[in-house]
Amino acid sequence: MSKLLTVKDLTYKKNQKTILKDVNLNLTSGKIVALLGENGAGKTTLMRIIAGVAKNYKGTVNLEGATKEDERKAKLSFTDGLTGFSDSTKIKEVDRFYATIFQDFDENEFTELRKFMHLDPEMKLSQLSRGMREKLIIALTFARKTDLYLLDEPFGGIDAMARKKIINSIILWKDEKSTILISDHFVNEISSLLDEVVIVKDHTVLEHKSAEDVRQNHKTIEEYYESFYTDEDDE
Amino acid sequence: MEFKDNIPIYFQIEQYLYRQIAMGKLKAGEKIPSVRKLALELTVNVNTVQRALQEMNAQQILYTKRGEGNFVTEDTELLAKTKQSLIDNELDEFVQNMEKLGVKRQNLASTLEDYLKRSKDHE
Repeated sequence: MSKLLTVKDLTYKKNQKTILKDVNLNLTSGKIVALLGENGAGKTTLMRIIAGVAKNYKGTVNLEGATKEDERKAKLSFTDGLTGFSDSTKIKEVDRFYATIFQDFDENEFTELRKFMHLDPEMKLSQLSRGMREKLIIALTFARKTDLYLLDEPFGGIDAMARKKIINSIILWKDEKSTILISDHFVNEISSLLDEVVIVKDHTVLEHKSAEDVRQNHKTIEEYYESFYTDEDDE
Repeated sequence: MEFKDNIPIYFQIEQYLYRQIAMGKLKAGEKIPSVRKLALELTVNVNTVQRALQEMNAQQILYTKRGEGNFVTEDTELLAKTKQSLIDNELDEFVQNMEKLGVKRQNLASTLEDYLKRSKDHE
């Protein structure tokens, strides 16, 4: 369990609006971690900052010694949402693009993942359903060999079968050393997979706990997560 | 296999494997499925399966052969003991539920016998 990622005193503002404030987070290697919070809590922004996509923040983000955005980008794999590709791009062309851009992109691994997800390389992006699109994003993300994978809401708006495929791909493709951070606003579907839970609320990380410790107190992960929001319902 | 989310998963995996062993689905000396296969089958984290197997190794119900995986113990006495404790757990629950329903301990045996006789008549 060696140290992997350290986020220290992170604050991020956009158009004078505070998106993240005093965020501190430590991740060790070899874990599956959920980043839980309501929409607008700041999960995606936090991921984008860790990933090196969002810049001009205050504080430090250290991924195994890499503190600069470009260094971090090379050391982690982030679900990028296929932005920048036109609708007529074929899956095999996206594959080739990734292989050119990322040195650690393993094309054999991608082919295996693609087959596992039942995706045809000749298909165009415009032909993909939402579930297929998400499966492609996951296949591209896992085909890179890195120590940190950031999956930003991989289960949003997809059917149960696609979800199951993605969950199984996480179990099958995650190697011992790597850590996967998954953001979601709904925990039930992945709770049995988790090593740790990070709660994001009010623009910061409120708590970070081991999933088995939550259960040891006879609470479900969902109850634990919801306990951070009950006060508001009472008002 | 559905897990309860308010009980540690590693503990439930242990219970699941103990049952598989007690029911003879995993036999003495048999190799159990690989960690990853179990993780996939149960939709859980590999780390969690590993923790469960470690606990079972510590209790000597499983043993590890380096590079080969985990095997069920061949110690028949330990296996019998394990099975008995599973049966005891079930009986514990049964007795408690009967007491909640107002059946006294001294009447449990006759109540059960009576039930078995009646359900046999229905066959």
